[in-house]
Amino acid sequence: MLDAIDKNLLKAVANLDGIPQGAFNIRKNGELFSRQVSDNINIEPNQDGTGIVVTVKPGATNESVHIPVILSQAGLHDVVYNSFIIGEGADVTIVAGCGIHCASHKNEGHEGIHEFRVGKNAIIRYQEKHVATGEGKGKRSLNPTTKVYLDENALVEMELTQIGGVDEAKRVNEAELAAGSSLFVTERILTEKEQIAVSENNIVLKGDNSKTNLVSRSVIKEDSKQDFFANVEARAKSYGHIECDAIIMDNGVNETVPALRALHPDAELTHEASIGKIANDQLIKLMSLGLTYDEAVDRIIRGFLK
Amino acid sequence: MLELKDIYFTVPGEEAENGAAEKTILNGINFTFEKGKFYAITGPNGGGKTTLAKTIMGINQATGGQILYNGKEITDMTITDRAREGIAYGFQQSARFKGVTFRDLLAIAAGTEDEGQLMDILARVGFCSLDFLDKPVDAKLSGGEIKKIELATTIARNPGLAIYDEPDTGIDLWTIAPMVSLIKRQITDKGTTTIVVSHNKAFLEAADCLLLIKKGQIEFTGDLEGAMPLLSDLSVCGYGNVCEGDIDARCYR
Repeated sequence: MLDAIDKNLLKAVANLDGIPQGAFNIRKNGELFSRQVSDNINIEPNQDGTGIVVTVKPGATNESVHIPVILSQAGLHDVVYNSFIIGEGADVTIVAGCGIHCASHKNEGHEGIHEFRVGKNAIIRYQEKHVATGEGKGKRSLNPTTKVYLDENALVEMELTQIGGVDEAKRVNEAELAAGSSLFVTERILTEKEQIAVSENNIVLKGDNSKTNLVSRSVIKEDSKQDFFANVEARAKSYGHIECDAIIMDNGVNETVPALRALHPDAELTHEASIGKIANDQLIKLMSLGLTYDEAVDRIIRGFLK
Repeated sequence: MLELKDIYFTVPGEEAENGAAEKTILNGINFTFEKGKFYAITGPNGGGKTTLAKTIMGINQATGGQILYNGKEITDMTITDRAREGIAYGFQQSARFKGVTFRDLLAIAAGTEDEGQLMDILARVGFCSLDFLDKPVDAKLSGGEIKKIELATTIARNPGLAIYDEPDTGIDLWTIAPMVSLIKRQITDKGTTTIVVSHNKAFLEAADCLLLIKKGQIEFTGDLEGAMPLLSDLSVCGYGNVCEGDIDARCYR
């Protein structure tokens, strides 16, 4: 049974009002809760029982897979290793995410490793949202890792979101791109209180005309801390761009380290990074339109993380 | 409708020049703006024009004197409260955002997200392209585009008092005349009291009353004809390096 807390978490992480259409795998408190496969998408446990293997048939289009994880059991630390094998020319949307509800003083956490093998000419849109709720004092930690291997001309769009609630997060994104493939990553993180978030990104452009754009938007409130490391390495005639913006509020601390490594003479790599408070002219403009100071701050942050 | 009574604005020593204890930017301004009239504020660079406009909006807090709006004292009010009383402000340097679209700003300004009402405002300010509505108000917009957004968000407030600080900066030559008639139309249709800070002859000619501000004081009030001798005497903007604004801002000489 999904209780009210579970339903809220599902809604928050996967925008689901109930059981989704299409293929899905819902994991609750460290165990399989519900699963459905479709003609083109198979989901089965992996050999050592540490996670699932999602296989999308070549050419499958307009399909989606939902694989949310919800945790509401005190003291549980859940670890999974999921693999995604995307057939040639497939075009699918994958919605992952983890919701933790912590009602006690005991720690709860989830570590998810998602490995993607994306076939030639395949397209995937991957959305991953992390949410933590509950009044308990237990520490909520989420440590997601994604490993993405793009075959020729594959296209992957990743949206990674964590808006508050998570005490400790360490994210690792790794990607290798074959010729003609493209990877676009957008990461949005808001931390508050004494939360800590670290994001480490290592993208290797291996094939000719591969390209990547890595966008990070961070809001660091109160006494929280965020570190962002982005490494793009070009081993071929390829294109890479890193764009990281951080807004600091209160006593927030941020370290942003973009690194570009060109190992090929025709590589084109660029980055832009900025850290700072909300610009005063933005606040004044919105206040002159009738918003209060707090409403203006809220509007600017919402837009920034949109 | 707007009364300025002995308005002073001073900044402390560290911001003042030559190590003075403080610098007086507005030095006892007295003036009453009448409802539904068009005022142009002009004068030499550094004379206090923009400071005065910002002091009316509450972006600068007057350090002395009183401001009355429709008979109500607003001297200590916040920007937000003045906006809610009906004062709107078009900025010379417009704010650029990340992730905020023209539609977002317009909806905040108009107090509605209703597509039909937003369309009406767009039609009023002469935007033809609907695509423009979902453009992000970021650094990629041209100077002309952002000025039009500034104008639209000001008009969308349906203000009792509209203040425009150098609205022609960055606007091409051909857009000035339509902009003047748009601003005048708000005066005739809505009775909006309008203050434009400008050096542009088009605005100075269109205004019912011209205020010449120099060294933080009102040097002259009246029509353009009466101001002409003073303007040429002062060489208000006769020299390139005295003229404020972007390269496109043409000056009254």
